[in-house]
Amino acid sequence: MNDGKRELWIGWWTLVVFYNVYGLLFFVVTRTQPPPEPSLTPAQVVQWFAERRHGLIYGYAFVFIVGGATAIMNATLAYSIRRMSVSRAFAYSYLVIYALATLPGMLIMGVACTVGAMRPDRDPALMSWIYDFAFLSFEGTMGVFLIGSLVWMVAVLLDENGVFPKWFGYLNLCNALTEVVVAPAWIFKNGAFAWNGTIAWWINMGVFVTYTIVFLTLLRRMILREDFGTGALP
Amino acid sequence: MRRADGEMLLLWTLPVLGVIWISAFLVFPGFVHPMSPTLSAEQVAAFYRDPENLPRIRYGMIVFNWFGVGLIPILALIALQIRRMAHRTPIFSYALIACAAGGPTIFLMADLFWLLAAFRPERDPQLTLLLNDFAWVTFSSQVGFLIAQSVILALAIYLDRQERPVFPPWVAHFNLVVAALLMPAAFVGAAMTGPIAWDGLLTFWVRNVAIGVWIAVMGVVLARAIARQRAEGDAVEA
Repeated sequence: MNDGKRELWIGWWTLVVFYNVYGLLFFVVTRTQPPPEPSLTPAQVVQWFAERRHGLIYGYAFVFIVGGATAIMNATLAYSIRRMSVSRAFAYSYLVIYALATLPGMLIMGVACTVGAMRPDRDPALMSWIYDFAFLSFEGTMGVFLIGSLVWMVAVLLDENGVFPKWFGYLNLCNALTEVVVAPAWIFKNGAFAWNGTIAWWINMGVFVTYTIVFLTLLRRMILREDFGTGALP
Repeated sequence: MRRADGEMLLLWTLPVLGVIWISAFLVFPGFVHPMSPTLSAEQVAAFYRDPENLPRIRYGMIVFNWFGVGLIPILALIALQIRRMAHRTPIFSYALIACAAGGPTIFLMADLFWLLAAFRPERDPQLTLLLNDFAWVTFSSQVGFLIAQSVILALAIYLDRQERPVFPPWVAHFNLVVAALLMPAAFVGAAMTGPIAWDGLLTFWVRNVAIGVWIAVMGVVLARAIARQRAEGDAVEA
């Protein structure tokens, strides 16, 4: 490992490792992804919590322990924007928006699922509310990713240092658009627009996974390319 | 004489904040003898309806609402010290800033749930229980940003390879120990009694004492680093 790039590599490996860990925790351990139907009756919701009680409690406990790793991940991406020829305002906006995103986008869901799982005998009507709170906070947190992707898009398109290729700017637009089409999840309980639907979930997840693999690859290339010399860095 | 830049003022808010936090902690009746998760909905409702408890719940949580975010300026001062370390990029200071808002925001959410439960204690006990559960689970389980803060600080210190590092290496070891002590609290949902329960030894006492000790130790270490930085700055100017 090139000593001058050690912080960048720590950041990059944190991104790679924790995206995988989060994937494992959400899809395998807690089994909260792909999401269940919004149309479950209160009795079915009680059943849903009962079936994965330990997975929810222990899975989200691990999410809570490693959730803060997003700070170093977002810091690394903010640094890549800082290397661009654009104002520092872009990097700082990205950093703050994504630091904020962790709460409604991930941790609130974990708290709600833990509260739901720890008292299986709670009134089913309240369990149904907890279930809605969990999935709608997760799926329905849109603005941070919408504005975050647009900030990144504009930075890439204006950048003259060639940190990321221009086409990645447009991929950011695709990611931003997924946050637009997810909005009906707040309204529909069935069909393609519901929180588990083809549009609100499957297409979005497809775009997000592609987007993530692409920016990890591009970030790795940026780090390999960086020629730090010995001078001070931004 | 250097120009006042306000850093010393921010630093001296820490002991004041400590006194306020400890007072609010003692005022809230749910902390001194932490409430058991095994209480029934009726017992939890009775806790909020008790005329002895109710004003103390409200006043304690109002004070926490005011001053819960008071630690952010201190974290910002730590971020500035990280910026002085022998690193090639600002990634660690960015990461600490990204953590700084997380912990206090989560604490504020728990504070809101407690205040909501106390706002209408006559509410259906099932709803009071729900709000009380959300308050305690949010308060207890959300250690992620605090762990990340300590681990990032430790990494930053280990990689600060210069003749006189900004923070001595023991501060890094100390931060890793604190991070480890915070971890069990994340499992709060797993038990209603015993050390992991929200009133238990590990989740309540070890975690909160570790946070308190971290704030006190980092306050002293930070004060010394800032004092040294200023002495060196004055020497250069003179």
